[in-house]
Amino acid sequence: MDENIRYMFHPRSIAIIGASNKLWKVGHAVIANVLYGDCLRRDRHLGYKGKIYPVNPNEDVIFNLPAYPSILAIPDEVDLAVIAVPARAVPGVIEECGKKGVKAAIIISAGFGETGEEGRRVEEAMVKTARGYGMRILGPNCLGIYSLYEDLNTTFARAMPARGPISFISQSGAFCASVIQYSLEEHFGFSNFVSIGNKSDIDDADIIEYYATDENTKCVAMYIEALKNARKFLKVAREVCKKMPIVALKSGRTEIGRNAAKSHTGSIAGNDIAYEAMFRQTGIYRARTMSELFDAARALAYQPPPSLDGGIAIVTNSGGPGVVATDAASDLGLPLAKLSEQTINELNRVCPPEWSHRNPVDILGDASPDRYAESIRVLLEAKEVSGLIVITAPQAMTDPETLAKRIVEAARGTHKPVIASFVGMISSPAENYVETQGIPEMSFPEDAVFGMHALVHRARILRREEIWQE
Amino acid sequence: MAGIEASEVFGKVLAEGRTVLSLDEARSVLESIGIKFNAYGFAGNLEEAIQLSRKIGYPVAMKIVSPDIIHKTEVGGVKLYLQSELDIVHAYEQMMENVRKLMPNARVLGVSVEEMLRGTELVIGVTRDEQFGPMLMFGLGGIWVEIYKDVSFRIIPLERVDAWEMIHEIKGIEIIEGARGFEPVNKKKVVDYIMKVSSFVEKHQEIEEMDINPLMGIRGDLYAIDARIILRGREEQK
Repeated sequence: MDENIRYMFHPRSIAIIGASNKLWKVGHAVIANVLYGDCLRRDRHLGYKGKIYPVNPNEDVIFNLPAYPSILAIPDEVDLAVIAVPARAVPGVIEECGKKGVKAAIIISAGFGETGEEGRRVEEAMVKTARGYGMRILGPNCLGIYSLYEDLNTTFARAMPARGPISFISQSGAFCASVIQYSLEEHFGFSNFVSIGNKSDIDDADIIEYYATDENTKCVAMYIEALKNARKFLKVAREVCKKMPIVALKSGRTEIGRNAAKSHTGSIAGNDIAYEAMFRQTGIYRARTMSELFDAARALAYQPPPSLDGGIAIVTNSGGPGVVATDAASDLGLPLAKLSEQTINELNRVCPPEWSHRNPVDILGDASPDRYAESIRVLLEAKEVSGLIVITAPQAMTDPETLAKRIVEAARGTHKPVIASFVGMISSPAENYVETQGIPEMSFPEDAVFGMHALVHRARILRREEIWQE
Repeated sequence: MAGIEASEVFGKVLAEGRTVLSLDEARSVLESIGIKFNAYGFAGNLEEAIQLSRKIGYPVAMKIVSPDIIHKTEVGGVKLYLQSELDIVHAYEQMMENVRKLMPNARVLGVSVEEMLRGTELVIGVTRDEQFGPMLMFGLGGIWVEIYKDVSFRIIPLERVDAWEMIHEIKGIEIIEGARGFEPVNKKKVVDYIMKVSSFVEKHQEIEEMDINPLMGIRGDLYAIDARIILRGREEQK
């Protein structure tokens, strides 16, 4: 692991080159985000606490901070430079950053490799300069990074995600902004967030290698259009997956999708057969849609992998969603638990006689928070159950918030994974509560099943050598 | 030792301006890394063909050997499942007559005689991806690969777990495991072969593509019947 990459996420001081007082400039949004975390909130407590040096030869003061004409004029060491100046000025700035002894530079500016051969040459020349000084480059043509446990936002996006156990890499800047919005709605958080841009120097492998050493990260999520150094990634990802789960969405799976990817971020998408092989070989869990990516990431980040000996139990207060979940499990090849006689007897004690008497465990439409809690306890203690999906359809007799509290209580202390689905209750207080207590909640039952499948996959990856022992 | 031999063969092929190895060349290269082939030999005349067949054991296949005949089947130059000395005599005479009629100017050197094996047909192949480099393919071979494309891929170099996983990934795993009267294939041996090919290709970056097809699973062992190795042209190798 390159220590300079650690400095990028944990800088002691930052220079923002191209910082500006002019509201519509990228450099304005960047310095506001560094200062306030979320540029719209103007609360210094939410922002980066280290030293901040705006650089702009045409300004004296930016956001009450003295501005410097060049990075070389800063009377202090600078760990990280964030560059938001026009493309033609960037190579000069990189040279100065190198001279200054900067550890890493994030080039937000666009107009390089993605524009063609000439841009690619400029990019290569900058990387060469940086290497000469031992400096690393992220980008160009990226949104920037978030290092949430430093309250650091170097992007020009308009939001700040919550802290949490997921670290994300995206090849698309726009995707980043959307994902943050979604994470705020769904109450999951990030440790780190990287918009990786053209990958002129720092590539996907470098970032995941760092993530694997980050104490706050429990799961890596990736959006990939095309890898830059595919074989290096294969090797690094295989090692990382031994320590930490990775889930990835690779776009351009189809021919039509791939043609679209060619013009995006200046990279050529690889053959999907090779990517599929790579995912299987490394142990990366592959998502095929944006919602799958985060359903899997949330499950992997917040819940433990199950034992491979038992099966999954589904508890529900209605037949329909239970059947939908069962179908989804069968499609994915997710084994369902066959309830033992003992478990059935114990459920008989806590449920009315009409309960389903098998998995999915339908505890009936009038299921109270107590009945849910008792059934959950029975199932989590059952030997044949390795993980539990709790499905709730809203009905008039049960207060969802009380139910949410009882579910969380009942699931507390178990070493088995639990995923909930409060079907249709999007952004309700009940859903919010469950999520903030570390139980991933999915809006639809099949998504909860997908999350559970990611956990079973993880369990298999961790026991790979043992499973195939000769 | 094995590596040197392969390099020599590849060098000779490229020096002759070819990129495709003959079956004989592919066979010797793969045998040098420990891949077994069915028994096989060359006979310059009928008497030799009879003796060779007896040594190999029936049934055998007989094929015309001529530098001028590429499409052997089309000139009646391939005879399969020959069960006895009488079959050999008939097949040999018929083959020579066919060739005399259809390609009177062809130089005929003799015939090849090979052991005919019936077993579970597998395939191990190699292809290249622009970004990931050489990839290894495993699946049900013979005609199955053409029709069902029931194959799995891994990027070279593989680890043994990759080989185990890719074998279990194909839909026909039950056939390999001996469902419905199929003879079970020795999976550990398949893993060994996959690993041999993986390290061979890793060592020889001049290999563009390879097919060992069919690879016959029979009596707990594996025998390659046919193999194709295609090299990258000199310019393509960096």
